[in-house]
Amino acid sequence: MQTIFETPKTIKENSRFSFCPGCDHGVAIKLVAQVLDELGLQENTILVASSGCSVNLYDYLELDCIEAPHGRACAVATGIKRAHKVQGKEKFVFTYQGDGDFASIGLGESLHSALRGENITAICINNTNFGMTGGQMGPTSVLGQITSTSPQGRNKETHGFPIKTAEHIALCDGTSFSARVALFDVKNILKAKNAIKKAFEYQKQGLGFSFVEILASCPTNWRLSPLESHNKIENELTKTYPLGIFKDIKND
Amino acid sequence: MIKNIIISGSGGQGILSIGTILANIALFSDKFVSYCPCYGAQMRGGAVNCEVSFSDEELLCIQKEKAKFVIALNQASFDKFISKVEKNGTIIANSTLIKPQKPREDISYIFAPITQEAIKLGNIKTANSIALGILLNLLDEFSMENTKKAYEKVLKTKKDLIEKNIEALLLGFNFLKKEGN
Amino acid sequence: MLKGNIAIAKAALKCGCSCYFGYPITPQTEIGEYLSSEMQEKNLAFVCAESELAAINMALGAASSGAKVMVSSSSCAISLMQETLSYASSDEIPFVLINIMRAGPGQGYIFPSQADYNQSTIGGGNGDYRIITLSPSTVQECIDLTYRAFYLSQKYRNPAILLADGLLGQMAQGVILKENPYPEIDNSSWILNGAKNRPARKICSLEPNQEKLNSHIEKLFKKYKTIEEKEVLYEEYLCNDADIILTAFGTMGRYSKAICNYYRKNGVKMGLFRPITLYPFPNKRLNELSQKTKFFIDIEMNMGQMLKDVKLALAKDATCKFIKKPIGDWSGQEETIAEIDEILKEKYANNI
Repeated sequence: MQTIFETPKTIKENSRFSFCPGCDHGVAIKLVAQVLDELGLQENTILVASSGCSVNLYDYLELDCIEAPHGRACAVATGIKRAHKVQGKEKFVFTYQGDGDFASIGLGESLHSALRGENITAICINNTNFGMTGGQMGPTSVLGQITSTSPQGRNKETHGFPIKTAEHIALCDGTSFSARVALFDVKNILKAKNAIKKAFEYQKQGLGFSFVEILASCPTNWRLSPLESHNKIENELTKTYPLGIFKDIKND
Repeated sequence: MIKNIIISGSGGQGILSIGTILANIALFSDKFVSYCPCYGAQMRGGAVNCEVSFSDEELLCIQKEKAKFVIALNQASFDKFISKVEKNGTIIANSTLIKPQKPREDISYIFAPITQEAIKLGNIKTANSIALGILLNLLDEFSMENTKKAYEKVLKTKKDLIEKNIEALLLGFNFLKKEGN
Repeated sequence: MLKGNIAIAKAALKCGCSCYFGYPITPQTEIGEYLSSEMQEKNLAFVCAESELAAINMALGAASSGAKVMVSSSSCAISLMQETLSYASSDEIPFVLINIMRAGPGQGYIFPSQADYNQSTIGGGNGDYRIITLSPSTVQECIDLTYRAFYLSQKYRNPAILLADGLLGQMAQGVILKENPYPEIDNSSWILNGAKNRPARKICSLEPNQEKLNSHIEKLFKKYKTIEEKEVLYEEYLCNDADIILTAFGTMGRYSKAICNYYRKNGVKMGLFRPITLYPFPNKRLNELSQKTKFFIDIEMNMGQMLKDVKLALAKDATCKFIKKPIGDWSGQEETIAEIDEILKEKYANNI
């Protein structure tokens, strides 16, 4: 019998995700683990976990891992990368953050890591709200979006505009790769995996800061079913957050 | 016995340079030394000062006590630090830029046209060394050898500059004799 | 002849500090300036961080690799780092933080000050944790205690702070830059360097299990107890026969020594007790001294922060007076002597 699918080696045996049903975090983590397997990186990787729904990511992945204070993942990753380098070792270092962690409280650290061309990778899950605390308005909540802190919907007059993270990171001269992907169908999941792979490879090649923003569903806080959530991403969110590659140092 | 010296003037007059040099001269002469510069948001042309203390015993009390000698290279620093000169102490004032007034009677005054002399020497930037020369004469306890060593240590490889400054220093050192003070 | 700031930077390099992260702030900026060229030449990690927040978190990451890591800053910017000090204490990640104190609260100004005693020894971060705090009083001690800060932080896997003031950072003195006297600490059992031929490691303070979190905190405090038993440092000066003992730390320690000398010359039996470790505080020794000497005067360049620790340590029947020195430029020892004279007049009048 032919094996057509198995759990990536990088995912801990018998680990059970604690995400809500229909949440895309699980898919994103699986893709990251698959790419780490394929590139043979697991034994040489240090993961920087962050605050948010993915806070206990280290319980799912068989990787050396450190937790960063909320928003500081890219700074912590910078320290790790540099410290190993002075010891003559190239370690593969990536952060896995939510949009609140990366683009709200940690925007300074994120942007400056990209500007320095820090040779690390950041994966940012964008589900347009602060999921872990129960779905408050975040920097990525789109105009009109109803959340627990924008009950009448986000309006630009009082709340300002959502941040297009991947585009901003692409503007930084130290960025080697910046893309936005989504996970609402198989085609896009494969695209997402390719983007993650490219981002990881660019770090391996020492090209600078690589970044993937993943549009992800949050059925619980969006008060939608998993299917409705994916439809919302495909039909609504991609208007504010177009999918694509915004910077690829090899094609520029 | 602790000797405190305050060196003051405006930014660009080389106040901290001769402070460092004086501290090193004292160090080469086996003294306990402390050197405290003013620091922070400095502006070119703004007020600058430092304090050099040396002693044969461990230096404990530091910072802006009364000073036996005060060097003032401009009017503002003369006005500010004249009160810091201890009784029977001396203020060395740059009379090119400072009015020769004597507001206190319990201290000695040396008014020397320091900037003017430096211009005559061909380099206005050596004014600080002229002032240091006058001070070293008054202190009368450091050798020329240690003085040269300190200049070489602080100015490092800038040979021309060292020579120019030593020339200025000697001019200052001999100033009092010439004036017959 | 070295400035305090440069002495600290040189000592750090000499004991193998390979990563420095910083952001400019007076009066400690020379530390970063000096290291920027030295570390580049030696191919070490020097990052001009975008903020103090970033700097201290870079340190957190770098130290997880086992590297010796230093961050330097001053008062109001150390405030920004408190969160990560709390994390690092719980994570048991060692690094050295230099605080060249300036006056506060808030922005305050760059005048020398000792007003971060509370910030360092009690801490501004959340939760139960302690930071090892060393307080030099001379430029030579800046060097010696930088070595010790690295050693203690590695030995106990805890952040350590070197707490000096702007005056000490800026002043220059003749010093001896000797070799680091402390042994290297083996950290191979916990550092993160990739899960090769061993299970993956995690370093985190998050612990959703109540029992586990409790026992983690208990474990930390067992460690702190060991530190309190083994790592106390202080200087005693003429305390043996003293009728009056001054207590002071850092710059005020050396200043108070001169005061002691003055009173000794005038026939007053005065001594000085100078805590060198502010955490752990030498309360045991201070208590012993107060069994014999019953009159203490605490002198600090703040409104009385160490004072409460001194008072807690003293025997119940001992008296403790306080003299506060103004922040920044103060005008020599005559003023302090006048204040002490007043206190002594009262002491003798009331026969304390």
